[in-house]
Amino acid sequence: MISITINGRKIELEGPVTILEAARKNGIEIPTLCSHPALELWGGCRMCLVEIEKMPRLQTSCTVTAADGMTVYTETPRVVAARKAMLEFLLINHPLQCPTCDKAGECALQDLTVRYGAVAGRFEEGKRTFPENVDDPIIVRNMERCIMCTRCVRMCDSVQGASAIGVVGRGARSHVEPFSGGRYNCEYCGNCLNVCPVGAIMSRLHRYTYRPWQMDKAVKTVCSFCGVGCTMLLEVRGDAIQKVSPAFGKGVNNGLLCGRGMFGYGYVGSPERLKTPLVRKNGKLEPASWDETLAFAASRLLEIKNRHGGRAIGGMAGSRCTNEDNYVFQKFLRAGFGSNNIDSVARLGLLHAQGLLEGLFGQGAAANVITGIAGSDAVLTVACDPAQTNPVMGLQVRAAAKAGRKVVTIGHARGLRRHRTHSLPTVFGAEGVALAGLLKELLRMKKDSLPGENLELEAAIKEFKLPEPEETERLTGVPRAAISDAAAALKDVSTSSIIAGRELAASMDARRNFMLLAAIGYIINARFFLISERPNEQGLIDMGCAPDLLPGGRPVSLHTFRESYEREWGVKLNPEPGLTLMEMFEQAGDAVRAMYIMGENPAFNLPGGKKIMEALEKLDFLVVQDIFMTETASLADVVLPSKAWPEKEGTYTNLEKRIQKLDRALEKNGETAKEDWKILAGIGKHAGLNNMPYAASSDIIDELARVSPLHAGLRLKDLEQEGMMWPYKGKPLGMGGHVPLLPPMRTMAKAMTTDAQMPGPGPAVEITGVVLEIEKPLFHSGTLSRHSGALLDIVGGPEAKMSPETGKKLGITEGGKVKISTANGEMVLKAKIEKGLPAGVVFAGNNFREAGALGLFGYELEPESKTPVPMVKDLEITPL
Amino acid sequence: MENFPAFSPGALARLEEIKKKYPPGRAALMPALHVAQEDFGWLKPEALKAVAEYLELPEMTVRSTATFYSMYRHKKTGRNVIRLCTNVSCLVLGARTLKGILEGLYGLAPGNTSPDNRFSLEIADCIGACGSGPAMLVNDDLHTGLDAKKVIEVLENYK
Repeated sequence: MISITINGRKIELEGPVTILEAARKNGIEIPTLCSHPALELWGGCRMCLVEIEKMPRLQTSCTVTAADGMTVYTETPRVVAARKAMLEFLLINHPLQCPTCDKAGECALQDLTVRYGAVAGRFEEGKRTFPENVDDPIIVRNMERCIMCTRCVRMCDSVQGASAIGVVGRGARSHVEPFSGGRYNCEYCGNCLNVCPVGAIMSRLHRYTYRPWQMDKAVKTVCSFCGVGCTMLLEVRGDAIQKVSPAFGKGVNNGLLCGRGMFGYGYVGSPERLKTPLVRKNGKLEPASWDETLAFAASRLLEIKNRHGGRAIGGMAGSRCTNEDNYVFQKFLRAGFGSNNIDSVARLGLLHAQGLLEGLFGQGAAANVITGIAGSDAVLTVACDPAQTNPVMGLQVRAAAKAGRKVVTIGHARGLRRHRTHSLPTVFGAEGVALAGLLKELLRMKKDSLPGENLELEAAIKEFKLPEPEETERLTGVPRAAISDAAAALKDVSTSSIIAGRELAASMDARRNFMLLAAIGYIINARFFLISERPNEQGLIDMGCAPDLLPGGRPVSLHTFRESYEREWGVKLNPEPGLTLMEMFEQAGDAVRAMYIMGENPAFNLPGGKKIMEALEKLDFLVVQDIFMTETASLADVVLPSKAWPEKEGTYTNLEKRIQKLDRALEKNGETAKEDWKILAGIGKHAGLNNMPYAASSDIIDELARVSPLHAGLRLKDLEQEGMMWPYKGKPLGMGGHVPLLPPMRTMAKAMTTDAQMPGPGPAVEITGVVLEIEKPLFHSGTLSRHSGALLDIVGGPEAKMSPETGKKLGITEGGKVKISTANGEMVLKAKIEKGLPAGVVFAGNNFREAGALGLFGYELEPESKTPVPMVKDLEITPL
Repeated sequence: MENFPAFSPGALARLEEIKKKYPPGRAALMPALHVAQEDFGWLKPEALKAVAEYLELPEMTVRSTATFYSMYRHKKTGRNVIRLCTNVSCLVLGARTLKGILEGLYGLAPGNTSPDNRFSLEIADCIGACGSGPAMLVNDDLHTGLDAKKVIEVLENYK
């Protein structure tokens, strides 16, 4: 115990902290400009000077560690004089533009000047001047106001790892700018402007539109873009989001945000939002009243149920909808129409990936805390680019790299290209072979001495038939030395993290891939993380939006599990698992006559685009609930406008399986739209279902806690702070949660090794030629971000990205037009040549209208899980 | 080598040496910048980018470092760069007169290049020759004990 005295007050400290931290924890305010909780110690601004007894000079409290017996004074005349003098220095150059500066009212320098009164300076010479820089669409720099605390630069460098801005020049002329001096070439995380204490770096999105004190409220909520589930504050005025602010010290992200979260909120207020229900009359979608539409949808669904049976109805639940919405969705179809045809985008890989891992290690195998990644001895990423897809999780990997830990990437992880120690850049589809090669090397180096904790698993590992190094090199295109270097880096670590992308499961070799991953994970003592591209993808699985699973991950086919749901819902449930996502579309117009799609755009976001469109057209009846007129909605018979993320209450489950609460931030915006669950309950009422009597979304959570053993301990009030981690004080599946669902690994290993030969990369891949990959962009997310003005300002249209070598090989130049054609279709994109991209790969995104690269892919179903495996046939990439 | 076409073969060979001597990119940065400056004439953005790519450093790190030190040039210069010291002892010993001569004879203002592109003038803050001022550097050569006559003699050797 360390005991110090601050301003005469005795303070006991648990461990060694700085004087500043000790003071703040005890409610003693010490002013600072350059220190920030997310940054390392700095001691540059001299505002936090304090007097410490027996130390002749004033000390910076932000860097001095409190020692036992210290006596500190924070506001003596000497300290105040020093602070005043420092402010006078800062104000030599800082213009007194507070009346026209957006920061006024929340400016640290302004507050301190008011407090210590150094307004009238003695410096008579001129102030240095810099023109305000508005070259960038998002960020405006006013370097006259900069006080050189370098918070932004340190943030960009050491936390974000982007190193996109820096101090240029020296002395009085030093200022902060990006390399170009104008427009930023960065990740637009916005963390620089979030930590700027003055008005030097600011967002242009809300410039001159309000004063900080005019803000009505700041609502703490969870981001709507990816599966990390970052906590953020929505600052609201006039029922519109004015800006997104960080919540430092809170949430999985500790205040850090990415470009999508920080600047992507524009879609909420988009004038293109759907406002009224639409019903197709004479081939055209016409506005209709809510009551009329709900009654019509109910009667059509009932009609189809009566004629073809409930199984003729299929549903796709929404990965951006809340747990409450999705719970009601599956109940609506199961209890209301007797259909288990319920699936979601989790079918594209996450569900299978999780199923395989849980089969090997028990339920919750991938429910690990993201903030643990930075502290791992090693991080292995496979078939994913966490810094692009789940950016704030990517920061954890970068932090690990910065701390000198080993970071090994398999596949293309562009976001980690400066933050890794080993790269095994295999093409899409060959990641599994690289894993096999890595495992082989690990076993060789360990001389088969395994940890001895799980003998069954070890026996299985020893039965693996792994390719020889030459074979691995040939199949992956990665030199064998690189693989053995990576294995050497991993072999002796004591804790590690493995991050895997859904592509590893969206493969004909999914089972083998995950067994190899599990084996490596076992040897290097890894925690697993699965990439999740949507904010509530995990929630879809946990809420039972799968054809074979009830909420809580209980198989619908087992009577003991089904029974409790039947009791609660008051109906008999269909015990037979339903159709999976792609099967529903394949059987559209045949076994499936009607579909209900909630908040998803399968016509654009699934492989085999044109086929899906045709399938949707074959349906007798299609209901789409969405906030925008998507490609899918435009094919619907009934379109129902739903509320967007800040307009409703509910919960999301992130990729750690942490349930977090969304709070309503907007009251009137989207007032003509309805919550997804309310729409479902409304149709249910018209269809005569009386088991959805919810008054508020909290009633749904209460019901979930009653019926799902996993969520038995879930209480909404417990979610207020950091949410709740799996297993929510409930009962995980199996005895103590550790009984594998799938056959033991050894049987799997045996089954695998009888496959005689290690299959090579899928047909989508030709190592010697050029391959097409879907880009998972940093600045866009599905088709939602089409409506976010700021994100469009950063990347405004579709591009085909390739390395200079690939461009040369194909005869394609920067800005030129590229035609990409496959057996599935063709499209023309603008070429972007980017250094540092892997050779032989053309990346195209799936975000913009008429330019969805996923539509160029066909697919085949992986037989076990029916996960669609994207395939490209007859690929041709030519300049136009 | 062909991966870095921005540099001349001679410069690349020197960079290889530097990299061998100071393996981490950051450690090699300052000598590498000097090589790039010679190779490109001055540290234009392309030169900074080439150094960043060669040392695998963020471009911004390279630019921040380059703009901090006064011996790196961020403007196009003449064939020869004069660094005239005007700090205390050189000033007392007559540096101001020399500055006037350079301006009159070659049309050189501090920070500028002569119209014939022969000389650029930079005012240096002490080049460590206080005992034998006034002093100046022309390119990498130190010249001390200058006066009105000697400065012209010296400069006539630089074409």
